Amino acid sequence: MDTIIQQLFNAAQLGAVYALIALGYSMVYGIIRLINFAHGDIFMVGGFVGLLLTTRLGWLPFYLLMPLAMILTALAGVAVERVAYRRLRNAQRMSVVITTLGVGIFLENFVRLTVGPETRQIPARLPSAPVHWLQQNLGAFVTWDKLLIILISLALMAILWLVVNRTLIGTAMRAVADNKDVVPLMGVNLNLIITVTFAIGSALAAAGGIFYGQAYSIDPYMGIDLGWKAFIAAVIGGIGSIEGAVLGSFLLAGVEVITVAYLSSNLKNGIAFGLLILLLLVWPWGIMGKPTLKKV
Amino acid sequence: MRLRYLALLPLLVLAACKPTAQELKIGVSAPTTGSISATGQSAKNAIALVQDEINAGGGVKVGDKQVKVRFIIEDDEDKPESAATVFQKLINQDKVLAIVGSYTSKCSNAGAPIAEAAGIPVVSPWSTNPNVTKGRKFIFRACFIDPFQGKVVAQFATGKLKAKTAAVVYDVASDYNKGIAEVFRDEFTKMGGKIVGFETYNTKDTDFSAQLTKIKGSNPDVLFLPNYFNEVPLQLQQARKLGLNAVVLGADGWDNPELVKLGGKVMDGAYFSNHYSPDVDAPVAKTFIAKYTTRFGIVPDAAAALTYDSANLILKAVATAGKADSKAIRDALAATTGFPGVTGSITYGGSGDPVKGAVVIKVENGKFVFDSAVNP
Repeated sequence: MDTIIQQLFNAAQLGAVYALIALGYSMVYGIIRLINFAHGDIFMVGGFVGLLLTTRLGWLPFYLLMPLAMILTALAGVAVERVAYRRLRNAQRMSVVITTLGVGIFLENFVRLTVGPETRQIPARLPSAPVHWLQQNLGAFVTWDKLLIILISLALMAILWLVVNRTLIGTAMRAVADNKDVVPLMGVNLNLIITVTFAIGSALAAAGGIFYGQAYSIDPYMGIDLGWKAFIAAVIGGIGSIEGAVLGSFLLAGVEVITVAYLSSNLKNGIAFGLLILLLLVWPWGIMGKPTLKKV
Repeated sequence: MRLRYLALLPLLVLAACKPTAQELKIGVSAPTTGSISATGQSAKNAIALVQDEINAGGGVKVGDKQVKVRFIIEDDEDKPESAATVFQKLINQDKVLAIVGSYTSKCSNAGAPIAEAAGIPVVSPWSTNPNVTKGRKFIFRACFIDPFQGKVVAQFATGKLKAKTAAVVYDVASDYNKGIAEVFRDEFTKMGGKIVGFETYNTKDTDFSAQLTKIKGSNPDVLFLPNYFNEVPLQLQQARKLGLNAVVLGADGWDNPELVKLGGKVMDGAYFSNHYSPDVDAPVAKTFIAKYTTRFGIVPDAAAALTYDSANLILKAVATAGKADSKAIRDALAATTGFPGVTGSITYGGSGDPVKGAVVIKVENGKFVFDSAVNP
């Protein structure tokens, strides 16, 4: 029975990483109604930036290294938007979606050629000793790095919530999300808002990539599977909603871990996604999503 | 200006058309990129060694003349669909006489039917899943098969380690991992042990914590991870971080320097079954290991040794057959008896599977150390 608490921590760590990716999908969709399929690969790039910084600039303390990797990855995300998506902003929806897929394939192969195809791990920079309090009081064997990954991720999500809901730029973002055609007429710089959104989304994905590379491992193709999972989590939560992306991510991770723990690891994806399909049948807009009606 | 280079064109055409009848072509399908590219690198090294050795002596003797040998290495990326394409290309385009490969069982299972239908003999160095050769006349292998390997590990667990309970975590989407996990489960139970956990994951999964936490709850004596060297260190790391302290066992899929490079200290104290150990005494093996180590600056792993054996098996069969004909080479291969390989003596008694022994290797301070030998 003592393993149930440990399983909850496993789910929380996985869910935290899903959420850091899912937020980027959700925010970009919220602002310009674009599903950026290259976002999973931005997460992968973030992991590799973290790996390079950790191995090349080993003397940097973690609390500086992580923001630096987030900033560099944010620049990559902004560059992708500037170079590949901006010209297509008024193009057909399908052209843009294909472009995002193309950018993803480019990033995968770019990293594969420059860094190599091998599975790697980011050298551990967080302490990996077990947390005594949890072991003694709950009988759960949880290491400090796992606890810290969960806590830092939650802190980043809290900061994001504050930025979106309590700052001027956040207000502008919400306004653009509400009506992208009228708001720029009120003096809001649309390009700036979109750039900021891509930067924040990419920075969060980079944090996810660094955590993932420490807790599990990274390779140039990891963004495909994890990107899909996070995208699905964002849809479940209600794409466009920040709270929804977080909720959907923890829900997906929870269902996955519980299926393995109490049913069968063979059924992990089958049951997890079966349940999610059912959920979407009940709530077609996702848990926190708002039903939108389109005038024809 | 640029037109001047056109004058060189006829030369290029001539170079491309230089007579090829004088050389003998053998194909190699190996994962030189992708997740287990380290194994592909071992294969490339061993093939380079074989090619230089044979051509230094003028080539292979076919009938009454010496013919140079050229190995054509193609990358199957450790993906079954790519392996099928590679086999097709080697057979139809390059017109090879025989093929060395592929490496993982899932790739061999994709390539073997193509070679079988085309009547091209294949020697797989590293595919241990029984289905690879089953019911096929042209497919051989240089290694033992998983039913034997699974038994070796189960025996080691119940014998030397006196294990009463065991748990397994394996990749259900890969033929090799699945096959050996099931054999181990059956053999371990037959020997009086109890399987307390039998968990799966899918290729490319990186989070194994839910499976491992579940296994931790049943507290097994040994944990068997019959998976490849690029995943095992991550699985073991996660297991240790979850407080799962069982002795860890593995199989020949572990055998690559990447295992300790990726895993570091966490791999110490683990055991795995293998085709050979660089600590063996046989003279063939000693010469091979010395040559390989001098040339590539690294001790050969089992994939390298088995590639060396596979290529030489084919070359010997060509010499025995006395003609450059795939069917004759196949017949000569099938009649192989007592071939002195680096990984032991190879005899095909009517099937494509040689009867060979195995060794158990222990990981100690990041090194692979010979522990014991097991004969069938």
